[in-house]
Amino acid sequence: MNTILSHLHPASRRQFLRRFGLGLGSLALADLLGETGTASAATAGVLPTTHFPATAKRVIFLFQSGAPSQLDLLDHKPLLNELHGQELPDSVRGAQRLTSMSGNQATLPLAGSPFKFARHGHSGTAVSELLPHLAKLTDELCVVRSMHTDAINHGPGVTFLQTGSQFPGRPSMGAWIDYGLGSENENLPAYVVMVTKGQGGQPLVSRYWGNGFLPSQHQAVRFRSDADPVLYLNNPPGIDAAARGDELAALKQLHALTLEQTSDPLIEARIAQHEMAFRMQASIPEATDLSDEPQSILDLYGPDAAVPGTFAFNCIQARRLAERGVRFIQLFHQDWDHHGGLPQALPTKCRETDQPSAALIQDLKQRDMLKDTLVIWGGEFGRTNYCQGQLTANSFGRDHHPRCFSIWMAGGGIAGGQVYGETDPFGYNIVESPVHVHDLQATILHALGIDHTRLTYKYQGRQFRLTDVHGEVMHSWFG
Amino acid sequence: MRLLAAVVAAVVAASVAVGDDVAASTGSNLSFNRDIRPILSENCFFCHGPDAATREADLRLDIRADALEGAIVPGDPEASELVARVLSDDPETVMPPPHSARGLSAAQKATLQQWVLEGATYQSHWAFVPPERPAVPGFETSAPDAAGESARQSWRSHPVDRFLLQAMDREQLTPQGEADRETLIRRLSFDLTGMPPTLEQIDAFINDRSPAAYERLVDRLLGSPRFGERMTADWLDVARYSDSYGLQVDRDRRVWPYRDWVINAFNAGMPYDQFMIEQLAGDLLPGATESQILATAFNRLHPQECEGGSVPEEFRSEYVADRTQTVATAFLGLTLECCRCHDHKYDPLSQQEYFQLTSFFDNIDEAGLYSFFTAATPTPTLALPTEPQRQQLNERMRVAAQEQARLAALPGDRSSGFERWLQAQRQSAASSQPPADQPTLAGQIAYLDFEQAAPAGTTAVAGRIGQAVQLGGDDGVQLQVGNFPRWQPFTVSLWLRVADHKERAVVFHRSRAWTDAASRGYELLIVDGHLQASLVHFWPGNAVSIRSQQPLPLDRWVHVVMSWDGSSSAAGLRLAVDGAAAAVTTVRDGLTKNITGGGGDELMIGARFRDRGLTGGRVDEFRVFDRQLTQLEIAELFEPGRIDALLRRKVLSDAEQQQLLEYYLACHDSEYLAQLHRLREARQQTFSLADELEEIMVMREMPEPRQTYLLARGAYDAPTVPVDAATPAALLPFDPALPNNRLGLAKWLTDPEHPLTARVAVNRLWQLLFGRGLVATPEDFGNQGSPPSHPELLDWLAVEFIDSGWDTKRLIRLLVTSAAYRQASAEANSRDPENIYLSRSPRYRWPAEMLRDSVLLTSGLLCETIGGPPARPYEVEHSFKPVARDSGRGLHRRSLYTYWNRTGPAPAMTTLDAALRDVCRMKREVTATPLQSLVVLNSPQFAEAARELAQRLTRQHGDDVEATLRDLFRILTSRPCTAAELRVIHELHRQQRERFTQHPEQADQWLSVGAVPRDPALDRALVAATASVANTLFNYDGSVTKR
Repeated sequence: MNTILSHLHPASRRQFLRRFGLGLGSLALADLLGETGTASAATAGVLPTTHFPATAKRVIFLFQSGAPSQLDLLDHKPLLNELHGQELPDSVRGAQRLTSMSGNQATLPLAGSPFKFARHGHSGTAVSELLPHLAKLTDELCVVRSMHTDAINHGPGVTFLQTGSQFPGRPSMGAWIDYGLGSENENLPAYVVMVTKGQGGQPLVSRYWGNGFLPSQHQAVRFRSDADPVLYLNNPPGIDAAARGDELAALKQLHALTLEQTSDPLIEARIAQHEMAFRMQASIPEATDLSDEPQSILDLYGPDAAVPGTFAFNCIQARRLAERGVRFIQLFHQDWDHHGGLPQALPTKCRETDQPSAALIQDLKQRDMLKDTLVIWGGEFGRTNYCQGQLTANSFGRDHHPRCFSIWMAGGGIAGGQVYGETDPFGYNIVESPVHVHDLQATILHALGIDHTRLTYKYQGRQFRLTDVHGEVMHSWFG
Repeated sequence: MRLLAAVVAAVVAASVAVGDDVAASTGSNLSFNRDIRPILSENCFFCHGPDAATREADLRLDIRADALEGAIVPGDPEASELVARVLSDDPETVMPPPHSARGLSAAQKATLQQWVLEGATYQSHWAFVPPERPAVPGFETSAPDAAGESARQSWRSHPVDRFLLQAMDREQLTPQGEADRETLIRRLSFDLTGMPPTLEQIDAFINDRSPAAYERLVDRLLGSPRFGERMTADWLDVARYSDSYGLQVDRDRRVWPYRDWVINAFNAGMPYDQFMIEQLAGDLLPGATESQILATAFNRLHPQECEGGSVPEEFRSEYVADRTQTVATAFLGLTLECCRCHDHKYDPLSQQEYFQLTSFFDNIDEAGLYSFFTAATPTPTLALPTEPQRQQLNERMRVAAQEQARLAALPGDRSSGFERWLQAQRQSAASSQPPADQPTLAGQIAYLDFEQAAPAGTTAVAGRIGQAVQLGGDDGVQLQVGNFPRWQPFTVSLWLRVADHKERAVVFHRSRAWTDAASRGYELLIVDGHLQASLVHFWPGNAVSIRSQQPLPLDRWVHVVMSWDGSSSAAGLRLAVDGAAAAVTTVRDGLTKNITGGGGDELMIGARFRDRGLTGGRVDEFRVFDRQLTQLEIAELFEPGRIDALLRRKVLSDAEQQQLLEYYLACHDSEYLAQLHRLREARQQTFSLADELEEIMVMREMPEPRQTYLLARGAYDAPTVPVDAATPAALLPFDPALPNNRLGLAKWLTDPEHPLTARVAVNRLWQLLFGRGLVATPEDFGNQGSPPSHPELLDWLAVEFIDSGWDTKRLIRLLVTSAAYRQASAEANSRDPENIYLSRSPRYRWPAEMLRDSVLLTSGLLCETIGGPPARPYEVEHSFKPVARDSGRGLHRRSLYTYWNRTGPAPAMTTLDAALRDVCRMKREVTATPLQSLVVLNSPQFAEAARELAQRLTRQHGDDVEATLRDLFRILTSRPCTAAELRVIHELHRQQRERFTQHPEQADQWLSVGAVPRDPALDRALVAATASVANTLFNYDGSVTKR
């Protein structure tokens, strides 16, 4: 028997992987054997082709957990400065439910942004002084000021944005995309998550990038900033590469002996599984080792760029993974939940993220990758125009606000230099072109060439999809 | 109408061409449930099914009478609109419509035509008809020389085999012969105990040549306590068991006693109906035992939230929904979740019925959030005292009751003292001036008259006497006293003036926050215009609370007193308004734990974190006492001089006499005071012990059932019509003799006539042993689920299960003694690639728990203890939410005990496909990923086990490498290695031994993995090489795959 994977020509190896539903970072044995599962997932993706031509080959989602204040960053409301300290009119609030944090407050005083806004670029998009690097790139950006969501708290809010449902149990967006499209790289996972190290704020939970009811192979692989970028990637102490090589060679021989007795695809898959693990042990350290990045690139991403675990470091990693064919890369940066002390805390968050985010766009652009890489920046909801707690001369806070928030996107077929949607002068309600979270999800899938209504998975008797039974593609965003 | 007829005619003409193929391709024996229902359900019911709200064209196809009204003419496809529509090539008329993303294959269209031609008979959905025991099929001997006939012959005696063989004959498949004994004992040991057999057990089985050897083995394994652990590991996915609450904040919770209950239930052979009844409604059984109440923790294992700012009712309604859906999935195999927002699209279940079912689970005194600022167990709870605690508590309660009885008897004994005192007081009163305005009563520990500058956020205003404070609502007045334990009597007195009707306002409190702290402490609120006083451990389920029957008078100064006797019962909590005891209603009377802790240790007036303050309200003359004032003293505070006036009066009414007696005893009688002190001491002893008891969340019905509502779109804030508890009508009528509560529901579920319960149960047990259920969708027995591969067998097993008294062990014994279970595995057969018909033994990778447990067992590291708190092995250090690993036995406990955190579940387990346990899951998908290889190749858990196994063998065989390797291979695979296999591992061993000899430092590193120290007496390079071979073999297909 000579069907050992490494002896195959690359093309036939790919064929083998497809035939057995293997590959590209993971294998689905249930399907291979058909003995235990009903899933038809193959890691080449369940979709034989995209539903229509994709404008983006990959997505980098810079998730800002805790909900950044749109009123201090991307949605300028001078009226709030004029009415600073006055009560939020009931006519503006309407029937909006409040969180139980400020819902019992005796007063809800409006709070103007203490930060200056200016218009930038040909598009003239207004951006806060807290984002000086991003401000230079407004002509690359599509700023959406009319996002809205159903959730008013972090757990449900992030879960909703990630999975299309406020409650646990559904697959995350990246898992859906992995399930639909599979991977472009045999040696790296298709869905990678990186979390900025050592940040406080609202806790993250691994369910946010989980597989829900999809097979577990579709969950994100979280790259860590410690010695093992992936769980147990390194050999145990004392087992060097040569010793491991001998172990795997022996294992392969044992499996080959079994194959002589019976042609069992399960064993062929077992061989492939171990070989891919062996290759990942080389490819992941290669992908995550920044030592070959020139100083000019590190400078572009800013002073934190060389420090493992920082947002800047993760942004460079995101670009490296994008170059190597990882399809969905998601960064999580925490601690945007500014219920109090916003004027002091928000600039810190912006310092950590503004330059690296802008650098990522520039870096992708100079490699001619921005055109097919969709970069998204945003959080789970917005923040209130009124102050939570004490409004003092120097400080205030903002509570959660689901009715409107802002995000930006760049690349991947989305036209730059646009501002989409509008909120009222109070920054409380959307007055033009609302975009629901399901719409955003539908549009992200659309950019990848997927019809969000047709990427489904049957579970509990029903065809589930990322956008539940909702979602409109924002066609006008595309250039 | 004319237009329609024209369309039909055109379509019929087009369809004639395929007409001949119809009969040819489908034959004539169409079964509605097997052949037609899946087509209609997948393609038609979405718009023409049970959901009335979205039904199109008023056409319903799931009920024959309705379908016949417009869509189907039995026997006449040409006249049937249904046929016309599915055959149409006009995008305007074709069904299903193009935008639906559904579509029929040519064969499906032909099948529908044939079915209409044959008369369009319907059958009830198979799973909604009670199972009846079908006759066991006969056995027909084929020609003796036919392929597989000898194997067939061994299938003739077991009923399960006869059913399977009947289908196999139909599919022209033949079974495999019996597997060899090593394979059998390995398969059986894993399946029944989750672990491989030892070499001694293998040898004993091979050498036991008696005909009953196999049955004896089965009985031994079923009798092993490991059986209960193996079954429990599986059940924990169904029960969504987790050691943390989940959702966002995700603190730890103590629910492992429930896991122990499950292990015990399986090991004790508890009948499955009892297993269900106790978990669903153990608390409602007559004379419920502690264990039966504990079992109901099953209903509370859903995720719970405490994120700041969350709306409690939103999450409470989510908990109720989760309980309901878990029962529907686990016991009914129904996808009830669909009905939360609308009538079911495919099954005869309405949204109304969904909420009727939730009503059974809506009726416990719970909060929507667990406490952010305290570690209180969310109510309702069951205290779980240890045996010594139980005895001690009983003794202390006896003493406290005795002290209380003594106190109650004292007034009569002290009447002469009272008379003497009264006499003396009258004399001194007569000879003295009336007292000054301000009373001085014993035990006053704080007094605020608000004559100084108003605190921040408040305003000084005209008061009852001098100045008062007016509250803004967001800032309170902070005192420096008030952290009373629940055995400490106390009194708070104030003048209060409120101008407007308040839905809710905090008058004063001792607590950190409102819902975030579960209101731990005590408080006086205005609720809907009435005064409400409470002492709270966890609101609402562990508290005493009373509410004044009269509303608080508005726009004038009112004197208000809240007082407490330290008894921990609502009778000891009193309210007085304007000097007189207020008539109150008891709101809660179940305080069993401390009211201290959680922060906010001192009294505050008029505001609370995240609560609604006393906006615009005024407070004056605020006093705190560390004793419960008597009625007379309270009157004195309202109207100073009252005591003196009574003492001066010559003639007293009985009531006045009584008031003076109480006052005397509480303030002037040293014996009474001493007894009061003894009672307080006894209560302190009792309560402080009760405060230490561990608790677990359970179910306990509220005395007054909560009214459940149908929630529009399932939204917590959109209640519409009230609904009462009821079960879905399509399944089985609810016996009116049953109580209409969870116990009735449990009895309804376990009624032998119930169409689903037993089928769902035996299907899961089948899946447990064969990898795939007879119904491949164990979570969905509805119209959209997979039809059973062997419907008669499923029914026969269901009835057999019920008739056996729901005996789980007996059913498992029945299944594993079948020839089907005992047959060999073989290459996939192209006639049945998915092995639906079981003509070979299924092959799949063992679940995560078994992979890890088996290396713990074979290495000798396994900690043998059964049950207990969660263990934290190596992998929890690397979870998304890392926690410190255990240092001792916790590293080597069976995997079902591994600490389960929903935010960061055990990463090696989840890599190996373990369920995440945030919702009820009935099966796991099996995958094989490179990340799994990394876990088994590189993790310290496996590396340490490899070394221990190597040491064990080295101690036994010394330098006899071949003997070591032969044993090693056999320990891990349960079979001897072939000569060729031995050569491979021998060569690996030689390479590694040479390497470790040359690089002793590498051997040292390799042998130092894990917390257990290596055995220094053994040859370093030899052990290191053997460990490397062992670690390699952990990944070998023969070690990890069921065959």
